[in-house]
Amino acid sequence: MAIEGVDLMKAAAFIGAGLAMGFGAIGPGVGEGYAAGKACEAIGRNPEEAGLLTRTMLVGQAVSESTGIYSLVIALLLLFVV
Amino acid sequence: MDDLTSIPQFVIRLFGVNLVFNTETIFMTWIVMAALIVFGFLATRKASFMPNPVQQVAELFVKAFYDLTKDALDDRMAKNYFPLVCGLFMFLLFSNWLGVIPKLSEPTKDLNTTLGFGIMGFFIAHYAGIKKKGIKQYLSEYFQPIFFMAPLNVIGEFAKVISISFRLYGNILGGSIIILIVSHLVYGLMLPPFLMCFFGFFVGTIQAFVFTMLTVVYISVQVK
Repeated sequence: MAIEGVDLMKAAAFIGAGLAMGFGAIGPGVGEGYAAGKACEAIGRNPEEAGLLTRTMLVGQAVSESTGIYSLVIALLLLFVV
Repeated sequence: MDDLTSIPQFVIRLFGVNLVFNTETIFMTWIVMAALIVFGFLATRKASFMPNPVQQVAELFVKAFYDLTKDALDDRMAKNYFPLVCGLFMFLLFSNWLGVIPKLSEPTKDLNTTLGFGIMGFFIAHYAGIKKKGIKQYLSEYFQPIFFMAPLNVIGEFAKVISISFRLYGNILGGSIIILIVSHLVYGLMLPPFLMCFFGFFVGTIQAFVFTMLTVVYISVQVK
């Protein structure tokens, strides 16, 4: 079984998808954890505002998640389209 | 795993141009619209001072989103734009929840739907900006801080559309792919229903809210 150019392209696309997802998950992970930690601090200091803080934290996390979602879209493109 | 990438399509050849319809997306959008119409009908049919349960829920929606729009825009504009905001949120919420029901899929799983809403929000925001400030001041905003920043500002406006629509699309598609892969691994024991509820109800609600919120913020950035 000889390895042809198409196989190499497939392999490169799969490696690229894995790298894109792996590196792309670092940023949102750090960012969302930081947001959750800060929200915990704020709730500890000000427990009666817990509902508002949780809501704001979730929206902020959903926004900061978007870079991870971009890398997911890129990975899916590499897996299924290339 | 074949149903991951398959998109049911219906192609009409008209005057040498292929018109492609994503049948599943269109059908699911109709279901969502029908559900919204039924909900609106039930909420307003016997509207009274003592609300029935459906009217209660509808009033909750209206109150919450009127306050939210009033906070972001001013009082007079909130009256004009709040029906759009509330309708957008309810459509996205119902369409994100639709994936929980077996055999149905979310219309927001298709990039065309979310990109359509993103472009709609873009045009509405810029229309509101032009109407509020006048065309001259609207154009001069692009040459803020210095004149050669204009291309960057234009690209920034388009990036908003891309980011808002890809965020919703990627979240919903990623959730359904994770559900599919996990149910492939565990053959439908306890985990997939739990994941379905998590991605359908929790993530779906948050993403619908974020989409609506960002549309309001884009409008308010343009009119300020």
